[in-house]
Amino acid sequence: MDFGFTPEQEKLRQEVYDFFLKELPEDFHPSLSNRRANSLPQHEFWMELQKKAGAKGYLAPGWSKEAGGLGLSDIEQGVVSEMSGYWGATWPDYMGTRICGPPLNVFGTEEQKKRFLPPIASGEVIWWEAFTEPDAGSDESNVSLKAVPDGDDYVLNGQKHFMTAPGPADFLYTLARTAQTTPKHRGLSLFLVDAHSPGLSYRPLPTMGVFTMEIFFENVRVPKNNLLGEMNRGFYHAMVTFEFERTNTTTGGGAKRGLEELIQFAKKERRNGKPLIEDPEMRDILAERAIEWQLNWLGGWRDAWFFKERKRLGSPPPSTSNLREKNAAAPRAEALMDNLGLYGQLKRNSKYSKFGGMAESAWQTSRSMHPAGTIEIAKVVLAGRGLGLPRIPAKFNKEIAKSLTEKE
Amino acid sequence: MDFTYSEEQEMLRKMAREFLEKECPERFVRDMEKDEKGYSPALWQQIADLGWLGLVFPEKYGGSDGTVTDMAVLYEEFGRALFPSPHLSTVILSGLTLNYAGSEAQKAEYLPKIASGKTVMALALTEPESSWDGKAWDPEGVTLRARQDGDDYVLNGAKLFVHDAAAADYLLVATRTRATTKPVNGITLFLVNARDPGVQITPLVTIAGDKQCEVVFKDVRVPKANIVGELHHGWEPLTRAIKVATVLLCAQMLGASQKLLEMTLDYAKTRVQFEMPIGIHQYVQEHCVKLYADTDGIKWATYLAAWKLTKGEGAEFEVAVAKAWASDAYERVAWYAHQVFAGVGFTVLHGVVPLYSKRGKVWQLYLGDTKYHKEKIVEQLEKWPAPEMPQGPRRGLWDNDPELIIPAWYEPFVAKCKPAA
Repeated sequence: MDFGFTPEQEKLRQEVYDFFLKELPEDFHPSLSNRRANSLPQHEFWMELQKKAGAKGYLAPGWSKEAGGLGLSDIEQGVVSEMSGYWGATWPDYMGTRICGPPLNVFGTEEQKKRFLPPIASGEVIWWEAFTEPDAGSDESNVSLKAVPDGDDYVLNGQKHFMTAPGPADFLYTLARTAQTTPKHRGLSLFLVDAHSPGLSYRPLPTMGVFTMEIFFENVRVPKNNLLGEMNRGFYHAMVTFEFERTNTTTGGGAKRGLEELIQFAKKERRNGKPLIEDPEMRDILAERAIEWQLNWLGGWRDAWFFKERKRLGSPPPSTSNLREKNAAAPRAEALMDNLGLYGQLKRNSKYSKFGGMAESAWQTSRSMHPAGTIEIAKVVLAGRGLGLPRIPAKFNKEIAKSLTEKE
Repeated sequence: MDFTYSEEQEMLRKMAREFLEKECPERFVRDMEKDEKGYSPALWQQIADLGWLGLVFPEKYGGSDGTVTDMAVLYEEFGRALFPSPHLSTVILSGLTLNYAGSEAQKAEYLPKIASGKTVMALALTEPESSWDGKAWDPEGVTLRARQDGDDYVLNGAKLFVHDAAAADYLLVATRTRATTKPVNGITLFLVNARDPGVQITPLVTIAGDKQCEVVFKDVRVPKANIVGELHHGWEPLTRAIKVATVLLCAQMLGASQKLLEMTLDYAKTRVQFEMPIGIHQYVQEHCVKLYADTDGIKWATYLAAWKLTKGEGAEFEVAVAKAWASDAYERVAWYAHQVFAGVGFTVLHGVVPLYSKRGKVWQLYLGDTKYHKEKIVEQLEKWPAPEMPQGPRRGLWDNDPELIIPAWYEPFVAKCKPAA
């Protein structure tokens, strides 16, 4: 057992720390300022910083040099992610580096890798993951966006929604139906789509947390060489994508900074003539957050390390970080909001708001723990694939559904 | 980084598992609940021969210089088998304190005796009043008086919840030797012959049938030579040993928790109701999933703390996090197991789950409960430095943040949309 880093990894950590220390403006508060790019100047600022980070290789240090990375490992990738989480940097293209790029590295043709990866690593582009559909939420295999071959292209028709959109996209990473099969998941394929292809239109779908979109495909032509991986193997490839998505040290980085900020807040604020940090309830909140951070940190690094060693050690042990964070987020937000009493409801722009209005925004975000699957789906997946508990085979689903409507 | 055990640790685990499966079956665990001393001297000698009693001691005192992480691997197996023994009391709480603070003569005399299985020891720290006041593990909780009288000290007072006292040859007793403004500076450790006529040991009847005792000291004379460490300054080495013991207690909970997970999954997959294994139902699956996630958390929190202690770091924060989490998580883990096993898990003659859940309660309360360790965590947090603020030039982008429902980049983005060909 060794929970430490090599001197080179520590050096990289310090470098990235210093990068953010120097580059982030003094009026940006890493844990308390709104990290969403609302105004155009805010968006431009994050794009500019993303390119600067890209130039230093900080966006994808784990990728090969040809792909625009530093040729290092998943651990260095994790070190950089943890630091960006700590400093509250939300890259407009976090999906490109974390979700769309990694499978491109695995399943992409040489030509695709050359075309798509370097711009992601240099921070010039934005990718969105477009998987979810109105009838394919938790049941991802039910995707009905249709892709039909026609000459040198595929023609896509259908709809996606709940696409998280941290900034305007250049490309979409999407899952479409290329065959009507039983079981359903054997007829899906992955496509890389220009976000401004003729026939694409968008509609906003704002949530209590991130900004998301609806997207409509009307006879959208996608060149055949933009098919990613094998035809009709898209679902299996996507499962691998989810593995990348869950390897997450960013959340731990953010939790550490948030905890540090809350300690300072509790030391400076007074209540009933005493420092807030002497309030037993606040002490419990701090202790809970410290424990959660420590477990999150461990879980993130465990996942990253087993992922890095997957060729040597086989498939990683089932991850628990995702589930633990999904379960912890809401009680954590509620505890702080309750502690702040009436002040807890104030948004960040109020002159009376406490702790940067973070309590209410964290509370709102924590109403949805749905990205990458609901809590329920996380449990079902862990129970079935992780712990080998039985499930009713999907081939009986239709019969069961039918029996529900039949009279006894 | 490395999230796996070393080859030597895997060997130790394998050996320990095979040995305990053979020597410490469920029957033995139940028998020891009724045993006066709560352990088997014959088995104790066997584990001495295996080297488990000297594992963490220096080689020159009959040990093998093992690390805290090595010990944790062994304790996982102790927990898995619910191995009833005075190991933690003798080797860790008493032995390690002797190793940290004892004189050369004391170490040369006692450590080889512990390592070879000839001597059993117990730590007498917690007191009736301090345990009620929530100060059992704090320096102010130590009030048992040791009064100097010539070359001896005379001990008077009582200790409560002393694990394994009935089995012990010696008691390591934390006493108050002077009243000071800082309670930590008046505590002296004595090694006391447990068979001294002034020492009265009475086992307590506890939830798990383990051997905790009341120990009353009445005019017990102890020679000065039996002071362990410095006069008035026994607290520091004692807490160092307690930290190691706390992590090993977590490792013990981890092993027990992993066994509960295995048993519960096995039962969920094989117990049939409504013509199907009960594990097909998502309510049952939820218990299993949470059991797994909690166990996984205990594992990494425990080994992080063990690793830090092995490196020689203080690890105050990590130890407190591990125990706070493990105690709470183990309570839940045992509860999930109870729910899945339902009636079968509630029976005491045949059901195995109660053996695990009741011991869990003892471990949870021992060496500081969650409330105690959470306070330790916050004491460490208060020492954390304030985070640095960014130093780049001011941009003025976050004053009166617009908090738009639809971000400003949306309109120019959709303006570029082209109709279908």
